[in-house]
Amino acid sequence: MHLDAWSLVAIYIVVVFLVTFPLLIFGWLMGAKGKNPIRDAPFESGQTHLGEARQRYMMQYYPYLIMFVAFDVVAMFLFTWGLAFMAISFAQNYLFLLFLAVLVAPLGYALYLSGQREIW
Amino acid sequence: MVTCLQGLPPPQEIVNLVARIIKSKTFLEIVIFPGFLNVMLSAAFLTWLERKVIARVQMRIGPLYAGISGILQPIADGVKLMFKEMIFPELADLKLLMACALGLMLLAFAPVAAIPFGEGLVIANMDIGLIYVFAVISLFPSVILLIGWGSNSKYPFLGGLRSLFQQVAYEIPMWLSVLGIVMLTGTLNLTEIVKAQERLWFVVPQILGFAVFFTAALAELERTPFDLPEAEVELVMGWMTELSGVPFMVGFLAMYTKLYVMSALITTFFLGGWYGPSFLPQPVWFVAKTFLVASAMVVIRGTFPRVRVDILLRAGWTRLLLIALANIFVTVLLIWLGVAWIWRI
Repeated sequence: MHLDAWSLVAIYIVVVFLVTFPLLIFGWLMGAKGKNPIRDAPFESGQTHLGEARQRYMMQYYPYLIMFVAFDVVAMFLFTWGLAFMAISFAQNYLFLLFLAVLVAPLGYALYLSGQREIW
Repeated sequence: MVTCLQGLPPPQEIVNLVARIIKSKTFLEIVIFPGFLNVMLSAAFLTWLERKVIARVQMRIGPLYAGISGILQPIADGVKLMFKEMIFPELADLKLLMACALGLMLLAFAPVAAIPFGEGLVIANMDIGLIYVFAVISLFPSVILLIGWGSNSKYPFLGGLRSLFQQVAYEIPMWLSVLGIVMLTGTLNLTEIVKAQERLWFVVPQILGFAVFFTAALAELERTPFDLPEAEVELVMGWMTELSGVPFMVGFLAMYTKLYVMSALITTFFLGGWYGPSFLPQPVWFVAKTFLVASAMVVIRGTFPRVRVDILLRAGWTRLLLIALANIFVTVLLIWLGVAWIWRI
């Protein structure tokens, strides 16, 4: 019987699932149960918990997230280029290298900026 | 076929079928050696190794009583955690937490399917193994954020947010650091990548990529010096704070499995995979290199201080990314100098 790669991965995942899931059920069944308002309170270093946990937090690092959106896509396309690098000629490659150099320029500027300010 | 029509086949046939499946190479690969049991035991062994090495660094003795110098300690811990009560804060999303613990385990184990432990000793020899591995690893932050959200407690939520930022930031340098290898070999198949290193390991021409990958792996694993998501003095235990009992065990094991997987990936990409002097079989070399890399990470945990969060993000986004891009230009230079034949299969 010959299986292709993805069904093998699926079988492997199912094996992991078949061991982990009963483990969780087992832990649920074997552990003690009970209700206690003090014990069920969220952990806040021994103090009475105050306010909601799911509040809004300040996103100080928002610019980094924007960089992620840009560079994530670039990284994906770079892989297709890297695969074909040996196959295509210099005349086609140098354009891409130029693009990479253009990519480095704003990064260098960001490096300079981040040296100037503590948080941006 | 006739037996199928009459209902169940005779028991002898079922026994034969089960015996054939158990004896098949595929089954052994999936359940025992490169697959489940190997990863599970390695992760358990790594927890022991970490405690022992950190103890030596801090001039303690570490686990001592269970088995020879405490080697059975992980099993003792596992049994203890299995029978513990699961304590969750009120209003926590129990089902979500359980599902996320399970999901973490599956995600941590999944990349092993594509990693070759020897020539032909791989669960699924796929052509896009490298993309598959990175795709699975990039799913971690979302599950961790869900755990932080579902706990309904402040420390886990903050830890989850930090974890998301950190893993997202270090993903891209990590991807770009292996681009040089893809350019030199022209393939995404991990077996082919290892075979390309028969003459010279990639750690030599791709030393910049190796440095970037190792650093990014430390950040992805949330290990010191990048263990901000679970900085003990600030966030108790980060996103794991409110997990207890079996979900805690599963999450903890998943993190050590991830450590094993990352070390195995470093071995595959840069340290020549299964290649080594022939007096030992190939899988032994692979596992030995993997544990060596993991031990290096453990020693780093014992010796380095934690970095600040803005330094971490700035270093990842600017310096590390720049070094990864520089590595690409070095690779282009290598190819134009005409030395790429060394890594041709």
